[in-house]
Amino acid sequence: MSTETVKVCTANFGKGASDISVYKQLGGYSCVSSKLFDLSQFEIIDIVQRSGLRGRGGAGFPTGLKWSFVPRNTDKPVYIVVNADEGEPGTFKDHFLMKEDPHRLIEGLTIAAWALGSRTAYIYVRGEFLSCIETLNKAISEAYQAGMLGENIGGTGFSFDIFVHRGAGAYICGEETALINSLEGKKGQPRLKPPFPAVSGAWNSPTCVNNVETLMAIPWILENGPEAYAALGTLQAGGTKVFCISGDVKKPGVYEAPLGVPLMELLNSPQYAGGIEGKLKGVIPGGSSCPILTAEECEKATMDYESMASLKTMFGSGAVMVINETRDMVPLLKSLGNFYAHESCGQCTPCRDGAGYVQRILQSIHKGEGHEGDLELILSLSEQFDGTTICPLAPSLGMASTAFIQKYRSEFESYIQKNKDKKASRISSTFRPGAFW
Amino acid sequence: MSNYYDMPKLPTAESPKVAIFVDGQETFVPGDTNLLEALKAVGIETPSICYHPFLPVSGNCRQCLVEQEGPRGRSLIISCFTPVSPGMKVFTPKTSLRVKNARKATNEFMLVNHPLDCPICDKAGECSLQANYMESGHDSRLRENIGKHYHGSPDHAFIDSKGQTRGGKQVVLGPRVTLDEERCVQCDRCVRFMRFVAGDEQLQLASRGDSTYITTFPGQELDHEYDLCVTDVCPVGALTANNFRFQQRVWMLSRTPSVSMDDSLGANLWIDHNHGKIWRLMPRCNPEVNRSWISNTSRLAYLNFDKDRLEAAPIETLQSTVFAAKKVAIVAGGACTLEDLAAIKALQESLGAKAELFGGTSIPVVEPDGISKSGDPLANRAGFKAMQVPDANLQELLQKISDFDTLITIHSDLIGEDPTFEKLKQIPNRIVLSAFKDCTANAATLAFGVKHWTEVSGSMINSLQILQKLNAAPTAPNGDLKPAYQVLFALAGIEITEVSAAWKQVQDRIPTLKAYQRDSILSTGLKLEGVV
Repeated sequence: MSTETVKVCTANFGKGASDISVYKQLGGYSCVSSKLFDLSQFEIIDIVQRSGLRGRGGAGFPTGLKWSFVPRNTDKPVYIVVNADEGEPGTFKDHFLMKEDPHRLIEGLTIAAWALGSRTAYIYVRGEFLSCIETLNKAISEAYQAGMLGENIGGTGFSFDIFVHRGAGAYICGEETALINSLEGKKGQPRLKPPFPAVSGAWNSPTCVNNVETLMAIPWILENGPEAYAALGTLQAGGTKVFCISGDVKKPGVYEAPLGVPLMELLNSPQYAGGIEGKLKGVIPGGSSCPILTAEECEKATMDYESMASLKTMFGSGAVMVINETRDMVPLLKSLGNFYAHESCGQCTPCRDGAGYVQRILQSIHKGEGHEGDLELILSLSEQFDGTTICPLAPSLGMASTAFIQKYRSEFESYIQKNKDKKASRISSTFRPGAFW
Repeated sequence: MSNYYDMPKLPTAESPKVAIFVDGQETFVPGDTNLLEALKAVGIETPSICYHPFLPVSGNCRQCLVEQEGPRGRSLIISCFTPVSPGMKVFTPKTSLRVKNARKATNEFMLVNHPLDCPICDKAGECSLQANYMESGHDSRLRENIGKHYHGSPDHAFIDSKGQTRGGKQVVLGPRVTLDEERCVQCDRCVRFMRFVAGDEQLQLASRGDSTYITTFPGQELDHEYDLCVTDVCPVGALTANNFRFQQRVWMLSRTPSVSMDDSLGANLWIDHNHGKIWRLMPRCNPEVNRSWISNTSRLAYLNFDKDRLEAAPIETLQSTVFAAKKVAIVAGGACTLEDLAAIKALQESLGAKAELFGGTSIPVVEPDGISKSGDPLANRAGFKAMQVPDANLQELLQKISDFDTLITIHSDLIGEDPTFEKLKQIPNRIVLSAFKDCTANAATLAFGVKHWTEVSGSMINSLQILQKLNAAPTAPNGDLKPAYQVLFALAGIEITEVSAAWKQVQDRIPTLKAYQRDSILSTGLKLEGVV
């Protein structure tokens, strides 16, 4: 690997680029010019498609393809919604990106708006990111003053407005249709699909929902060409990824690395996390929804979509959580269970009642009240979450707990061993159907 | 909840038939509906909780899963939200173990926080959850004693003797509806009913996850003319009607299909009764008429059906008075069936020029509410017209009082509806054929008790020109009571005891009905063309 990584999204970190004059000195807003306005909508989309950029929010859907789905020539407005509701446990990249370099997001949004023929964009920011919202609002008002936003940008007749919407902190509002519901002022609950948001999203209009990091890569791609971006990564997936490394490493933080970087390099290289604290036990590679990797699997893992899929996990949002030998897996999974049970929106039956049920089993195992068969029960429930719900919240809990139990089963079993009555049936002897519980 | 989709499109007789593959078999199903209704049309029942044919789809219960073969292999889909498309390949539990397990799992998940207190639950016996549970093999691994999560308002929680947080067993939502929060499965039907049918969003799902519960807005209560319909749509025993709560086990009830005679739409209903007592009136689904809804007024009317009833009198007393009369005014009231009207016509004919017909009601006609009421209180107005009985000439009667020496009112509370009819007391002989001791009966010289419309078989034509059948529920308080038409035919010298014979009399008077046998009229009625 090259010694100096090309920085696509994080180049302006630590340089005070949240101020528009600094950002311009660093070469910012060069794309909001004839460089952009000379290109047609389809040329931009083609450039994004050729760059191989995939959505950085977690699902990894090709961005250019997503943009090409937005219907043209409808009498409805096209909305761009920025998903800045960064709620996945372990992920904190968007927070840093917006805080350090808000103008790059505005520039990326302007390019997207030109490509999609959009007049209005909403940045849906997680409610807890108060300082982020202040930075964004300040940056947006600076951009309006500098003529980068508003009516008739650069004398081209192209007008574009950005509004910052503060969410209420629900994890599920990171799901794009729930986010749109929340933006519309409804309860944040995912919608049935189809229709997909590209066709009928916010206020039943075509809507493109993109992650912060995805949009922040766009100015670089336009500046340096799609081929240069694609060359940064692997053959299958181009570009760089911003990783948020947390847990038992020497230097936890936000690091940008090209796709395909070996996981161990990301953890050990001095330009990234700088080494593991203690002996490695496992890594959650892409946020809490992604199945955990054991230390052996980490050795052969490279950080890209294909390698992760071959290890039966997901690339996710780039939240690398490192766990060393001193950590106990049972309370860890219990915390995850608490999180998912708490964040279930309450719409689909399997998730609403099932996530809470899994949480209670995990709690009882952790308390030393587990029974034989509990692990099989969790595994079978996890299987039953799969494909039965509207959104992937419950399946995420299912995947995470399946991986934890399959890969660290002995730890769970030793907790169950603590229960003297572990062999006793869980069904109470006084139970009769219809009796009060 | 915030997510609602379109109303389901229900299949009709005109639906185009398209070929789809169900479990590998080519099957022709209605093509303009959703998969759940299409499968139902060919006899494949799909269990569902949140789906209701007359409410917008919500798709949250996940009970109606089927497997569909798509470009990326088989995947589970909800059949209530999936439109039928020609050539689609779907798999039901018959061939797909995955669907069978997924449905069972959904049912199990639904039971996780459900109290399973069926033995004391009013809905037991007609509960969708119970039915699905039985269908999926009445066995759940999730019953285990892991503890249930209390889902209800924090205000109603308490700790029971086993240390469990419980509560919300008897939440008063409004004057007529009581909620059991523990039993609720958050299917959202009641919320959708109030929002989209009643048009007054009074219920909401509060909180999220497994703490979700049904509630009214703070400081407000559930109070609407159609609020009892939420107890019908509730698939479990969470919403219960105060008038039926803890009254009867539903499997002890007999059901008689009938038609409400308090409005000219003629809302279809079930009369649920046993041991000669009506316990409740329930809407009977008729997509053309009242769908699945009836108003509280129609539904709760039964509470008075056995009160203040008139006793039957010997028919000879009636005969002597009528035949001695010089000039008779016969008044037909709102609850007269076609058979009653035929009998009135027969009586008029037998009396000849002595008799004059009047009909109608003084209750004003109001705007239709668009749900189950046309606003016209004269239920059989179309029947009056078809039978050529006057339907709005009561004021003429007031003007001509002095002409008559005898008045016969049938199912018509003239004085109770309009006190100006007190003047009718000037007529020396006042005969009342009525079920109740109403104002007119109290002012009568001869009050003759007859059966109420819930207790007679008959027919009526509603405001949509649909001929509908009433069936007799055996709930008459007194075995001597007879239907009004039987008494009137007897007065006219025609011996009729069976409704089929009365129907022949109706057919004689309305020739367009000649083609129809009473038994051939469906329970959902018969659309008539050009009778009136």
